[in-house]
Amino acid sequence: MLLRHDGFRRLCLARDLLREGRERPLSITDVSREVGISPFHFIRQFEALFGVTPHQFRIDTRIELAKHLLAAGQHSVTDVCMEVGCSSLGSFSALFTSRVGESPSMYRKRVRTMIHVPHGYARELTPGCLSLMGRLPTSAFRPSQFSRSITRL
Amino acid sequence: MRIKLTSIMVDDQERALRFYTETLGFEKKHDIPVGEYRWITVTSPDGPNDLELALEPNANPAGKAFQSAMFAQGIPLAAFEVADIAAEFSRLSAKGVAFTKAPTAAGPVTLAVFADTCGNLIQLYQPKT
Repeated sequence: MLLRHDGFRRLCLARDLLREGRERPLSITDVSREVGISPFHFIRQFEALFGVTPHQFRIDTRIELAKHLLAAGQHSVTDVCMEVGCSSLGSFSALFTSRVGESPSMYRKRVRTMIHVPHGYARELTPGCLSLMGRLPTSAFRPSQFSRSITRL
Repeated sequence: MRIKLTSIMVDDQERALRFYTETLGFEKKHDIPVGEYRWITVTSPDGPNDLELALEPNANPAGKAFQSAMFAQGIPLAAFEVADIAAEFSRLSAKGVAFTKAPTAAGPVTLAVFADTCGNLIQLYQPKT
């Protein structure tokens, strides 16, 4: 699939629209209309570009925001539910649990116990990848069989 | 001092591993769980002892903002050299990869750009022989 400049720009705009927290979120059809692509092509092209459908993208964005608010803020689960644009606490909790593997309240409890030191939050939950290196087993840095034989030569 | 490792931020490590191996054809070198994330690296079968590329979890809001802005501006965050860019363009297009630039001559190279489905644009280049 080859996206011309204008099509690419429209899909990036759609991604911004899907990220916006709104009291009444736009439907996927509304977003496709907003950026001027037919719903069929919109969903297909969006997925090819961003790896998920527009609907999945919006859910992922909400879950990410919910995780951030639960970990960092002083919000209740109900506040977080409203903040990320879900109207029903039950469906928010079910969605969060299915994606994250634990309920919003469990997640908040667990993550907050990790935060003992100033800036600990950033390190544990938003690692720079290269900082993960310090927690790898030694074997991760041993050269493979092939490269060892090359070195000997 | 040697250059052995570089990394690229990805918004979903599992999807990234699938794309970089199954679609692009790289090979998984490491996949080690580290806390909430994974240490995943891939190498090229054409140069297994070249650089290792780590698929870095893009969890930091600053990283996300950077990645998103660069993407929207059409700027690739990595470039891979290929021997036959027209063939790669056909092969990847057939697998459903979205290109934002078809192979285009640019001075000493021919360039093409595609989306890696994990928030990045990647440039392919074939040097003129």
